[in-house]
Amino acid sequence: MPDRFRSLFRADTGQGQRTRGNTVFWILSSTAAALVLMGWLLPWFVDAYSAGAGFSPQDALISPPTGVGTILIYVLAVTMVILVASPLVEPLARLRGTTFGRRADRIRLIAALVGFALTVVIWFLVSVIQEEPLFGSFGPGTYTDSAVWLTMYGYALAALVYGARPWVVGRQTLAFGIAVLPFGIFLPLMFHQAPDFLDWAAGSLAIYMLLALGLNVVVGFAGLLDLGYAAFFAIGAYACASFASPTHNIHWPLWILIFLGAAIASLFGAVLGAPTLRLRGDYLAIVTLGFGEIIPDLATNNVFNLTGGPNGISGIDQPKFWFLNFSTSPRWYYWSLLLVSLVVIVLLRNIERSRVGRAWVALREDEVAAASTGINTTTTKLLAFAIGASVSGLAGAFYGSIVSIVSPDDFSFSVSIAVLSIIVLGGIGNIAGVILGSFILTFVIFWVLPNMNEWSTTLSQTVHVPGLAGIDFSSYTYIIYGLALILMMLLRPGGLLPSRARQIELESGGESESLAAVQGVA
Amino acid sequence: MSENGQSVAAPDSAGGVDKVIDLREIDVYYGRVNALSKVTLEVRQGEIVALIGSNGAGKTTTLRTISGLISPRTGEVRLFGKTTRGMGAAQIARLGVGHAPEGRRLFPRMTVRENLDMGAYSRGDRAGIRTDLESVYTLFPRLRERDSQLAGSLSGGEQQMVAIGRALMSSPKVLLLDEPSLGLAPILVDAIFEVIREINAKGTTILLIEQNALLALKTAVRGYVLETGSVALSGPAEELIASPDIQRAYLGM
Repeated sequence: MPDRFRSLFRADTGQGQRTRGNTVFWILSSTAAALVLMGWLLPWFVDAYSAGAGFSPQDALISPPTGVGTILIYVLAVTMVILVASPLVEPLARLRGTTFGRRADRIRLIAALVGFALTVVIWFLVSVIQEEPLFGSFGPGTYTDSAVWLTMYGYALAALVYGARPWVVGRQTLAFGIAVLPFGIFLPLMFHQAPDFLDWAAGSLAIYMLLALGLNVVVGFAGLLDLGYAAFFAIGAYACASFASPTHNIHWPLWILIFLGAAIASLFGAVLGAPTLRLRGDYLAIVTLGFGEIIPDLATNNVFNLTGGPNGISGIDQPKFWFLNFSTSPRWYYWSLLLVSLVVIVLLRNIERSRVGRAWVALREDEVAAASTGINTTTTKLLAFAIGASVSGLAGAFYGSIVSIVSPDDFSFSVSIAVLSIIVLGGIGNIAGVILGSFILTFVIFWVLPNMNEWSTTLSQTVHVPGLAGIDFSSYTYIIYGLALILMMLLRPGGLLPSRARQIELESGGESESLAAVQGVA
Repeated sequence: MSENGQSVAAPDSAGGVDKVIDLREIDVYYGRVNALSKVTLEVRQGEIVALIGSNGAGKTTTLRTISGLISPRTGEVRLFGKTTRGMGAAQIARLGVGHAPEGRRLFPRMTVRENLDMGAYSRGDRAGIRTDLESVYTLFPRLRERDSQLAGSLSGGEQQMVAIGRALMSSPKVLLLDEPSLGLAPILVDAIFEVIREINAKGTTILLIEQNALLALKTAVRGYVLETGSVALSGPAEELIASPDIQRAYLGM
């Protein structure tokens, strides 16, 4: 049954042959559809009157466009419908035994290109030339830009996936990167009226993504369970705080401190790693757990008068040079973190495929065999700890600078658990999965949950259910971790995007048959 | 020490490199349990030497001590005329010791090819790795067919081929084989031993552990018999085969 279901979502390369790995194709085409739709509806969501450059059906109904504007709007509507329907129509057609050929893709490509062009034209007419009469009575509203950006992005994405489907299916990682990167780069411009969103993207998403990527080296690549990973995060953050604040009256630039934070953390990684080399599995987990508790405790006790005790270190410098003033807008942090994350991702990918990466795999599979093929197990493990910790230290340095105050509470056990949950959810050992996992979990924990109280209050007023207003959703974090992990383990034990090794293990049923298989249930 | 030392000293000083493996009275403990006591064993350049004995006699421990997975408490392991004291398994592997460990111990979630590549982990010469891969595939044509299959999904015989092939990929001067016939069908056992002779004919020295004592002694030039952690008997293979004790205890005659 699941196989049949999955086969519905298998993309053709156009020659009718089925290929592996169409997930990216479906993600991209659905995202394109969602963006085109969202771009249309965004002005309507925000404010039907003040916003919209004629993008919203709602707007069009309230103050219908005239003349050429009518034609433009309705052609645009047609392209939108085609693209929104596309990801839905294809599986349905497959269900009925028919397939779409290249012609359908060509139509969609044309729809996408026309849509893109029309969006630009309408935006130009409304915002730049102010040809309002063509589009009813509305002018460039506050949220129009976001809508225009989203719509254009959706159309561009659709043009990419339908115009170059065989390529997208064939080189999915590259295609995904090319499709997503411009979004990442332009995001601060698209959402420039939403600083909260940028705060989230830079302060939560990017930081946790770096943490998860680092932990993935230790847990995913080398197979060493580390439950005290937040300690290295703390070390990086305190390093940054000490060298860039009035506390010790040292003010080094962030660009040096991220390397310093990484270096100090990796040193501690090696220091923690050394005595734990002989430990495996559960025992290692306990020791790292202890380490994760010791570091914030040391900070609380103001060890060597360096850490400022329970209050932490405040007034951490925010970089400022020339026209780049980091304290004025989160976008500079965002762009720096985007750059740093990309560099880290590329580096980790290369490390994974290098000799060291292969040695980690071998070590994870069979330590004795690894040792007898000439792998130095000691240095290989220490390297995993050091590299993992250095990424965490880097994230810590950024974190300190962004929030401008670090205190021991920021590095509690829950941070380690959150990071571990991210990689379990996304797919242990798979960089792409870890990135996806960090998007999902940070979105839920740092965006949905903090806003949930407000949303539920609004909802309770709207639908007159007073009970809704009283719920404090922020206390549900652990329930969400718990549910997410349980569901994950039941439905997709390898995570959303399992690594190759995990996939193999799950497909082959692991070492022994499961009870369900023996009983003939599965 | 004195008696033994003198007889050993002459060839040692004359051509110490001739002795590929030289165990001198090694004692090995697992915790408090004595696994090997005063084991003295040598393997010379180009030989096939068989190490036989019943279960728990210490055969696997001997091989592990040679390849550095375990260190002896007392005594000395000398490889190619040099002591290995203070060296880890990785360094010893780099000296030219290829170990196909007990129970094959492949990397089950790697493909056959990746397993073989792991064998060449500590080598840098790409051309040499390629020729060695080619010669492994020539020795075991089956592995070429199974190239991209996961090692864990292979049959026992094929896994053994991968284990030997992986050890060969390090281009070892001496190959340690731990029970290459374990769990294999008789016809496969013959084939594996055929290959072992072939490998040896190309110049690789081999130290072999084998349950099947007759087969092992027929293949080897010399043999050692281990009993509860110490060498009970040693000598040329044909002498051992002829010895009544061996015939009774190990050959079932």
